[in-house]
Amino acid sequence: MAVVAIEALSKRYPGSNETAVRDFNLAVADGEFMVLLGPSGCGKSSVLRMIAGLEPITAGTIAIDGKVMNQVPAKQRDIAMVFQSYALYPHMDVFNNLAFGLRRRRVPAAEIDRRVRQAADKLGLALFLRRKPHALSGGQRQRVALGRAIVREPKVFLFDEPLSNLDAALRVSTRNELIRQQHEIGITTIYVTHDQVEAMTMGHRICIMDQGEVVQIGAPLEVYRNPVNTFVARFLGNPPMNLVPIELGRGSGRLGSVSIPLRSWSETALGPARSVLLGIRPEDLYETPPRPGDDLVPIAMRVSAVEPLGAETLLVLTLDDDATDIIARVGRDTRLRVGERATIMLDTTTVHLFDPVTTRVIARDLA
Amino acid sequence: MWRRTPLILFLLLYTVVSGGPFVWVAIMSVRTTPEIFANPYALPTRFHWEKFAQAWSHSNYSTYFWNSIIVVTTAVALITVFGAMAAHCLARYRFRANRPIRFLILSGMILPPQLLILSLFQILLDYHLYNTLTGLILVYVASHLAMTVYILEGFFAQIPQDLFDAARMDGYGDFEIFWRITLPVGAPALFTTVTLNFIILWNEFLYAVVLLTEDDKRTLPLGIMHFMGSHQLDVGMVATGLMIAIAPVIVLYALFSDTMIRGMTAGAVR
Amino acid sequence: MLQGLGQRGRREIDARRAAPGTLTLFLAPALLLYAGFTLYPVLRTFYNSVHTIKPHGVEEFVGLANFSELLHTDFVFWKAVGNTALFTIVATVADVFGGLLLALVLFSRAPLAPLLRILWFTPVLMSYVVVGIIWVWIYDYDWGLANQILRAIGLGAFEQSWLGDPHIALWSVMATHVWKWLGFNMIIFLAALYALPGEVLGAAELDNCGWLAKLNFIIIPMLRPTIVNLLVLSFIGKMMVFDLIWIMTGGGPLWSTETVSTYVYKRAFDWNTFDLGYPSAIAVVWFIIILIFIVLMTRLLRQRDRLEF
Repeated sequence: MAVVAIEALSKRYPGSNETAVRDFNLAVADGEFMVLLGPSGCGKSSVLRMIAGLEPITAGTIAIDGKVMNQVPAKQRDIAMVFQSYALYPHMDVFNNLAFGLRRRRVPAAEIDRRVRQAADKLGLALFLRRKPHALSGGQRQRVALGRAIVREPKVFLFDEPLSNLDAALRVSTRNELIRQQHEIGITTIYVTHDQVEAMTMGHRICIMDQGEVVQIGAPLEVYRNPVNTFVARFLGNPPMNLVPIELGRGSGRLGSVSIPLRSWSETALGPARSVLLGIRPEDLYETPPRPGDDLVPIAMRVSAVEPLGAETLLVLTLDDDATDIIARVGRDTRLRVGERATIMLDTTTVHLFDPVTTRVIARDLA
Repeated sequence: MWRRTPLILFLLLYTVVSGGPFVWVAIMSVRTTPEIFANPYALPTRFHWEKFAQAWSHSNYSTYFWNSIIVVTTAVALITVFGAMAAHCLARYRFRANRPIRFLILSGMILPPQLLILSLFQILLDYHLYNTLTGLILVYVASHLAMTVYILEGFFAQIPQDLFDAARMDGYGDFEIFWRITLPVGAPALFTTVTLNFIILWNEFLYAVVLLTEDDKRTLPLGIMHFMGSHQLDVGMVATGLMIAIAPVIVLYALFSDTMIRGMTAGAVR
Repeated sequence: MLQGLGQRGRREIDARRAAPGTLTLFLAPALLLYAGFTLYPVLRTFYNSVHTIKPHGVEEFVGLANFSELLHTDFVFWKAVGNTALFTIVATVADVFGGLLLALVLFSRAPLAPLLRILWFTPVLMSYVVVGIIWVWIYDYDWGLANQILRAIGLGAFEQSWLGDPHIALWSVMATHVWKWLGFNMIIFLAALYALPGEVLGAAELDNCGWLAKLNFIIIPMLRPTIVNLLVLSFIGKMMVFDLIWIMTGGGPLWSTETVSTYVYKRAFDWNTFDLGYPSAIAVVWFIIILIFIVLMTRLLRQRDRLEF
């Protein structure tokens, strides 16, 4: 159980002019499952390795339970890590892989035995204790890697993209397994991934990173509903949020020939800009109005592709005088076909506005 | 089927060409010299196995054999241990001297022995290591480290860093990591270098001929040459002696041919 | 903030660095032996080459006299250089391309290929002593295999004193050397052939390429890096050849098989006057020539092979 406090953390690799991590601040509460989410190269693994003690810190501090860890070697930080490639010792069987770290810490043999067997039972590995890693499947190896961390009973768990080497079906079941384990054991966890589905389903909070910096921190649904800029808006959600430029008029915006009322934004909020980016998620575009009301604006578009997914259908639409593609999620029983014209309802209560230059969201300031 | 006849003929021909000489020596090793001179290419009428015992005890072969065993096993052991340590260090750690040291060691692979033997002769004399097995062992180790470090470093560098990170987090120090991770995981490469070095050193001639002069210090290749020199006409005994020299190599090869071939090709097809 | 922290703390944290003490312990045994018995002797040879080294450690500085005598008046040296050059070039080409041929034969799905691969590799593992003595017997004028076969098939008129005739002795030794090393090049080429991407060969089939065309236009060009590597490796090895020559002919008859390395040995240990300085000069000159060749060859041959799959 531990609180992790990271302040002003930054990292520059020797021989490189670029800063891999810049002014990173994060507070992880005791028992919290914190996900570090971001595209490749955003610095999330560097942060994780600095927390683990595998990478020296250029500037800033990392503190666990109030104790600054910068100078503390990895083995003394009481942290356990699950690596992307599992890092199982290939010449040892499962039992010894699990026991390795404990032996070094001079835990008595009886205690080692107890912890190893307990973890093995919990993870369904009891029958494989004498097998070597090469005789295990990918999912089993992953569980051994997890088990190795569990037996250590550390203050903090670190995960470095542990599911990326698994196939899709296994990924889902292992994901649920991890969630269950963390819930049961309750150890503070920091989990790095580039997969937004993992982030949304697993984390108590998500910390989104881009190019070495923190972009937004918050609970999954919070970050999903209120993205702080276009990067976050498009990173979460599949298919991603549609972003189209609109011309600003008085209290409304023009999208092609359609006028969209923007009643929740004051003139001052909108500022002097003449055009902004309008963001609307595919699930907030409707073929048939979900409810009566004048906050649904009809827009005429042409269908350029239909992608039936079974449970629902994705429509790729284009505006008449525009080249922008807009993606909408409609029901599975839609009759629309490629080339037809359709009237799609836009839900103005769920619309976002972004400044095209700074990419930051323009917040609603009127009721 | 008949179109393959030239191919099959070629295969047979080359097999005879490459293996024939050894078969011939094997046959001669169990025939007496008079028998051989009567008809060099006949099959043995009687198998004179006693010649092996004779060679062993009467012609000092046992001495030559044991000298070779001592020198080669010691040298191979030292090369493997020192070479593995150096290779691990160069493969795993970043430090400024890494590239220069690596260059220095690897360039040793192109040094011609002639450049070294004369000075080694002087040096060993100076340190009273001339004509000693110890001196030869030290020279063997020094001259064959380069290739071993080259092969091992290449292999060790491919061990995923994650394994070492995990061990570090589990609290293991540098030497323990070398001992418990690099060596076990790198065992195939170690095995390859051991067998390669064994065969190369077992057959080594030039350094031995310069640095050893007394008969009871001679290694097997030297012993055979010496015997050949004084018993040129006793073809039968020389053949027996040759078979004794070939035996360990054949045994190793029969057991480990696949690994050895794989090891050599891995090194050269880099 | 951490700048004032000193190197020690930093190194404990980085998984890729170690304390100088640890590094030293890992490297010291190998480096010390290497420095003492390889690097130092090299330097000492250079030192020797500008001295005359007499028995009992008497040394006399002679400047470049050894080199001048060597290059200007030593006809044996130049004969040896010629022999070594001939040997190196012919034997290298023979055993590299011979090895390639053998590899291609086995690669073309010859029967029993795996077994033959193992068998044909055997000569490589044998000591030069074994190989040398056996071939001395084969080349024996009276009862050796070579002449016996010639007589048996009616070509008795061609029987030779393979190792006794100064005109052909070197070629005889060359043949033996090539015989020993063919297998080595063969297995390297085999590995390279099996590593060729199958799709390229398949595409060639679809393009209606016969065996010969495939060989010419695809296989050989793609094997170029391996061919080059083996040529260089073989070249360097043969420039230093000593063992086989020493065992089979000792450099004779009449210097016809004398190579630079046997000459160095003779001048040092088999000469009327004992002087280590002169042979050291020979070794130095030869080393420099080898270096030049390596640089030339790698530059010439390696420039043009960057294969992208």
